[in-house]
Amino acid sequence: MIPSRLLGGLAALSIVAGAALAEDFTVADGGRDAYSQPFAGLSDPERDRFFRGRSLFRQSWVVSPAKDTLVDGLGPLYNRLACISCHARNGRGNAPDRPGERMQTMLLRLSVPGIGRHGGPLPHPAYGDQFNEEGIPGVPGEGRAETSWSETEVTLAGGEVVRLRRPTFSFSELAYGPLDDVLVSPRIGQPVFGMGLLDAVSGEELERMAAEAKADGVGGRVNRVWDAGAGRAAAGRLGYKANMPNLRQQIAGAMLGDLGITSPLFGAQNCTPAQTACRQAPDGGHPELTGAQLDDMEFYLAHLAVPERRRVDDPQVRQGERLFAGIGCTACHRPLVVTGEHPKYPRLAQQAFAPYSDLLLHDLGEGLADHRPDFLANGREWRTAPLWGIGLAELIGERVGYLHDGRARTLLEAVVWHGGEAAPAQARFVALGPEQRAALLAFLGSL
Amino acid sequence: MTVNVNRRRLLAGLAAALMAPPLLAAEARTTVRVLTSYPDAVVSRFESAFEAAHPGYRLQFVWRMPHDAQPYLEAPGQNGVDVYWSASPRVFSALARSGRLQKLALDTAGLPDRLGNAPLADPDGYYRCTEMAGYGFAVNPGALAGLPVPADWPDLADPRYAGRIALPIPARVGFAPPMLEIVLQAWGWQAGWAMWSEIAGNAVLLDRNSTFVTDEVASGRLPVGLSIDFFVASAIANGVPVAFVYPRHGGINPAQVAIPAAAPNPEGGRAFAQFVLSEAGQRILGHPDIRKLPVRPAVYAELPSGYYNPFTAASLGAFDYDGDSARSRLALSAALFEQVFVADHAEHSALWRRLHAAEAAGKQVAGARRALAAVPLTEAAAAEPALRALFQGRLEGSAAEPVGKVERTWRAAAAALRGEADSILTGVAA
Repeated sequence: MIPSRLLGGLAALSIVAGAALAEDFTVADGGRDAYSQPFAGLSDPERDRFFRGRSLFRQSWVVSPAKDTLVDGLGPLYNRLACISCHARNGRGNAPDRPGERMQTMLLRLSVPGIGRHGGPLPHPAYGDQFNEEGIPGVPGEGRAETSWSETEVTLAGGEVVRLRRPTFSFSELAYGPLDDVLVSPRIGQPVFGMGLLDAVSGEELERMAAEAKADGVGGRVNRVWDAGAGRAAAGRLGYKANMPNLRQQIAGAMLGDLGITSPLFGAQNCTPAQTACRQAPDGGHPELTGAQLDDMEFYLAHLAVPERRRVDDPQVRQGERLFAGIGCTACHRPLVVTGEHPKYPRLAQQAFAPYSDLLLHDLGEGLADHRPDFLANGREWRTAPLWGIGLAELIGERVGYLHDGRARTLLEAVVWHGGEAAPAQARFVALGPEQRAALLAFLGSL
Repeated sequence: MTVNVNRRRLLAGLAAALMAPPLLAAEARTTVRVLTSYPDAVVSRFESAFEAAHPGYRLQFVWRMPHDAQPYLEAPGQNGVDVYWSASPRVFSALARSGRLQKLALDTAGLPDRLGNAPLADPDGYYRCTEMAGYGFAVNPGALAGLPVPADWPDLADPRYAGRIALPIPARVGFAPPMLEIVLQAWGWQAGWAMWSEIAGNAVLLDRNSTFVTDEVASGRLPVGLSIDFFVASAIANGVPVAFVYPRHGGINPAQVAIPAAAPNPEGGRAFAQFVLSEAGQRILGHPDIRKLPVRPAVYAELPSGYYNPFTAASLGAFDYDGDSARSRLALSAALFEQVFVADHAEHSALWRRLHAAEAAGKQVAGARRALAAVPLTEAAAAEPALRALFQGRLEGSAAEPVGKVERTWRAAAAALRGEADSILTGVAA
């Protein structure tokens, strides 16, 4: 998975002592199916399980009561019908561009000031922790969210002008009263391949990476979040704010928050006391997603392979790779991470892989701040986005956005938005000549 | 009362953190409730395009497979559905017959009423075809290993295909039942079932919610698979190295649109239906992730080069299959196939291999072939209304229906036929 020439350049090899290179976890597919392939070497029963999980990930859920009892229980409040709705072809979502356009692959997290149970965000008393625009027949959806944009210009060295857009959100048709004093954080769908490897990075390894000295005043810290399965606090690894401790909870949380599907981890419907019709609506069983179904979905997402890099010998790409490290991007977007033990999926244990992320929280500045705390993450902090596979994003999804809210329409815009701990690296990027910037972007395109 | 009425209330709110004052409340939109069984790749693209073209409407999709959609539309008030849009001719036909649809009354200029023998519009005007999908063979040329590319259904009975054909189980995989009837119509009851018996003997069976035909064929695990075209065409459009063969005896499965009699917003339902049939809507069908066949012939000129044009093929006789006349027998045929070829597939398959080997060795095994190729039901018996009524409720996707007495009888009779074949084959081997 990691080219030897890259490893050769990494003095940090000592940290992978005992770790194998994760060669079976990549797929040499540069096409639109590149995010949708299983690991090589799955056994026949594992393949069956993978495909069962895939069916569930693509399943449009059914309003209860229904004959399709294995896939019923949508809502009562929800955002979209299927997991794949926000992760088309397992890729990333986008933000609405035009006035009045619905959020097809994006949602708004909600909370009010304060700390909720187990230290997480405090849900809004009437609307909960996520704005669900849709309701099943007979249950009013929570309302409509609109996105509008304001633009500013940034001039790069050499005179290139980048237009940056910033979203604002407004609500209408609110069905459960006003949304006063609410904290809002927008999220577009994230790519879902390679999540087994991210899941397998140990808390100790996260702490070790956080404690490493880094240049430019870059810090990085581990979010401490609630592990619902274990019933205790744990290191956060997944999600834009690293607010999820593991893949299983990430899936169960999205099933409940986005689709209104209960599971063994989250057994209560997503209705607040103010949402009477929601509380009285029929459900699809207890829970609606069975433990076996959750197992299959977890297996599927844990075993989606990572696209191999392309054009790695292209001189421009190699120049861009050197620049990426040279201007400081790799302080957070780490090209080498190792997994720990993974009793559930042993093949994921002790692997070295290249997510181009440290999975840690970093202050990215006021420009990207959502001002909404999420466990230990403050309103300016975000988990370093894994960049693996990002060069295929615009091939796989014909319309994609970057950063948590899809404001960046291109990778160039996304880089320029970086602030806070990333400000020194961003400033060096802005100061690069056009040819060097093109090389760095070519490197990102090769991921 | 439906949700759309409630949503007309405009209660503007202000979110403190990311809100830009002053807040401009959006104009309320009328909800159009669409009942469908299309996957997200189709739904999301039509949703986005329709709402951009008709900003006064907002779509609410309710997803149900056809076997679940029919009772939903038979309930009092029809659950507030404004438009039904799905690939299930049997449900549309049943709803129209029971007075649960209203006349579609759309502008149909440029939309033919037939494709070959297949009707594309209800003669009484209650529903109309919105897209088509054709049946045929997914082929991985790199995995054929010297086998010929099949051109028509009888080619799949070739012993060299033993264990090398992916076959979606008709009673369990929604799109598959019409494949049975295409062959039965073209070759007749007896010869048609004989062909299916031999193809089933060669096949590896695929169940619902498992691997797709395209997974098996693209990976090279199996070189050939029976499929509906859009799965394969979409895979090809996305770079998967497979091909699709439309057999000489083809058939299409039409999808339709209709307005329920009790639709609370029939104007909105019609606006959506008209959009689906419009040039803009029909062009969406050509998206690499969809790849269905438009019903508006003029649109084909705008689709990618090489896009299959069923109107051209129909003029050459490729679509003599009449889906309407086959419709009432689909579920029965699928159930028969299940009991005779699927329930004891390993045994069935092993006997065909022994038979092929014996024939290749020049043994006299015509009796064994007759036994293996037979099904325990005559065409006349299959036409009995009482028998068909037993299977009437089994629609696309209704996989887990309990097995009844009739089916147990079929399975036992098939076992007896296999026993007869086994005796003959054992005799000639001795």
